[in-house]
Amino acid sequence: MLRALIRLDDVHKEFLGTPVLQGVSLTVPAQCIYALIGPGAAGKSVLLKVVAGLLRPERGKVFVNDAELTSMRELELAEARKSIGMLFQNYALFDKNVYENIAFPLRRLYDLPEEEIRERVAERLARVALPGTEERIPQSMSGGQKKRIGVARATIAKPEVILYDEPTAGLDPVTSQKIYDLVQEEQRATKATVMVISSDVSGVLTIADRVGMLHQGRLVFDGTAEEAKTSTIPEVNQFVHGLTEGPL
Amino acid sequence: MAARTKDPSIIDAAKNVVTDARDVFRVFARTLYYLFRGKREKGEVARQMFAIGNESLFFMCITMAFIGAIITFQTGLQSRKLLPDFSLMGATYLKLLVRDLAASVGALPLATRVGAGIAAEIGSMVVTDQVDALRMCAADPIDYLVVPRFIACVVMGTVILIIGGFVAYGSGLLVANLAFDVTPSTFNNLMYLNLGDVALGFFKCLTYGAAIAVVSAQRGLATFGGSEGVGWATTEAVVGSSFAIIVLNLIISTFGYFLVPSVGPG
Amino acid sequence: MSTAPARALVAIPAKIGALFLAVAKQAGGLGILAAQILRRLTPSQIDRHELFRNLNRMGVRSVPIICATAAFTGGIMVIQAAPFVEQVQATSFVGWAATFTTIRELGPLLIGLIFNGRVGANNTAELGTMKVTDQIDALRALAIDPIAYLVVPRCLAMVSMMVLLCIIGDAVAIGGAMLTADALLGVDPHLFWASALERLEPWDFWVGLIKSGLFGVMIALTSCHYGLATSGGAPGVGRAVNASVVAAAAGIFIMDYLSTFVLG
Repeated sequence: MLRALIRLDDVHKEFLGTPVLQGVSLTVPAQCIYALIGPGAAGKSVLLKVVAGLLRPERGKVFVNDAELTSMRELELAEARKSIGMLFQNYALFDKNVYENIAFPLRRLYDLPEEEIRERVAERLARVALPGTEERIPQSMSGGQKKRIGVARATIAKPEVILYDEPTAGLDPVTSQKIYDLVQEEQRATKATVMVISSDVSGVLTIADRVGMLHQGRLVFDGTAEEAKTSTIPEVNQFVHGLTEGPL
Repeated sequence: MAARTKDPSIIDAAKNVVTDARDVFRVFARTLYYLFRGKREKGEVARQMFAIGNESLFFMCITMAFIGAIITFQTGLQSRKLLPDFSLMGATYLKLLVRDLAASVGALPLATRVGAGIAAEIGSMVVTDQVDALRMCAADPIDYLVVPRFIACVVMGTVILIIGGFVAYGSGLLVANLAFDVTPSTFNNLMYLNLGDVALGFFKCLTYGAAIAVVSAQRGLATFGGSEGVGWATTEAVVGSSFAIIVLNLIISTFGYFLVPSVGPG
Repeated sequence: MSTAPARALVAIPAKIGALFLAVAKQAGGLGILAAQILRRLTPSQIDRHELFRNLNRMGVRSVPIICATAAFTGGIMVIQAAPFVEQVQATSFVGWAATFTTIRELGPLLIGLIFNGRVGANNTAELGTMKVTDQIDALRALAIDPIAYLVVPRCLAMVSMMVLLCIIGDAVAIGGAMLTADALLGVDPHLFWASALERLEPWDFWVGLIKSGLFGVMIALTSCHYGLATSGGAPGVGRAVNASVVAAAAGIFIMDYLSTFVLG
């Protein structure tokens, strides 16, 4: 049994009085690719931000690497986030060139000589198949390219936990599959623990080890990818197989 | 959005003022902390100073020129009615300008221009998740975004307010000469002015610069809800920092009345 | 020509020229919008529901902030004047000076600026968001005239509410001045009132009202014009709000200056 790297214990979160997460408990074992699926507005992005320590739940506990994020102060959280990388749904790239975007975590987290930063950025860009684009401005690039730069930025500081929020939203099927392959190869190379949110169930199931499904702020399913495909829970069955008949 | 659409009662409004003030103070405290502890980005403060100066200098000069003209004209009308004697008009105007008007009146257009800019910029970064991305990279938004704007706003805001004060003085002199036949040498009267007035005015400039930066940054960081949210944050930044300026003015002026006595021939 | 000083020599007039062209373009846009509004200003064409919604939203909800600002400003005015009043023993003039300044100048100007920041900016943000999300075009597609449906009620609400808020604000500011004068200078409220009533003229009130109406028109036209001219997605809305607030503030100061001179 692998040890649990991410653990959520009865997490509740609300916005302006509307409950978004209503008692979510889940465990992500170390070195696992965990796919989080569910219909829109189910609370997936919020859950990911809770795991990253960006949002504080009203109730419940969040552990990453045995450290309890929920009881930390902002300065301690900043320290804990060193071991977490995140790709945001809308890229969230800064108004700087590609090089400065990817180098940003290294500059803030460590005091490295410029040469080493340059080497590591070049290595990352080669990894995401965008070599030599250092001087370009992200705003002028395509959605798939921006996602890949986001992946490069999320992984450059070699985090133990990587969180991907909709890495393939709005991309064509071929580019989507390339991104999934990238996520998987990255995980194999670094042995990181990965959480992926996706609305594209069939695509994400090709790489996921475990799957959790959120519906109306509750975790209605948690199991292996195979179990998800054969699940008899009506919501899961409908969502995984894309049926129009069902409770959703 | 729900909190915004419901009709606020007076009690709710008062409660909101209290929570807003608390949030602003929290941002201010953390700004001070990072001012001494933070990791400075090279050139960021200079870039912000340039942005603030560049975007507000022209606007400031225009508004202060008109304000100077209006105030002198109104004072002239009033003193024509009361005591048809304009010999002390310049001295009075100069003292008021240094002690209060240059800072307090000039700070309102400054809040409009600079405050709206800071809130819109930080607000769009919040709604596009860039602020969360910064936090993931151990770049606290207060340290990385607010502190450089704070320094720039205090320094550059003071410079701009002083320039605005000179412009207002010049336009006042011009109007006094054209409308009431006050010669520049009569208008140019430093008789009522003392060092205390200068110190008080300068202190006001620094305080307003800090208030605009902190209030607008807090509003920007509290943005939610897409492009409409950014619009809201901008609105609230302008109103909030204008209100903060007026409240601070009342506090500082009251202290100034008792602590910085105005000496003049009585 | 390519030497640096020569380029700078050309660049500065070019910049000034571009600035004037930009200002002229916006002023022209305001004029056209004003004409479009005037053409639709018949009672049958005004959407009553939209008008009342805006009257409430823009006027009624601005009362607390306007009152708070006005009260503080009244106090500040007296504190600033206090040294002079003490010097020349002019306590009998305090009431008149404070009410005169408030009604003619400070009231309309300050309330105009706050109104601009709260209501004008908000209006630009709302119209701008509708524009970038294609809602304005959607109205056109439904054969609803966006000027008549959106702009006219907003402008009417803003102008009328600006005048009403100015009256409320003036009253509160004078109250604040009266209290401060009593506390700081020992000027009895009765003396304050007597001094004000003795010297104030009806014309002073009219000047204040005309000014606040003019500022209301300025804010209404500017905020609607910039809102409808928004382009470029979410960042565009932020830019439009920023530009609109600044333009309206500059407009208010220029208007104030001109009306002070014309109205005497």
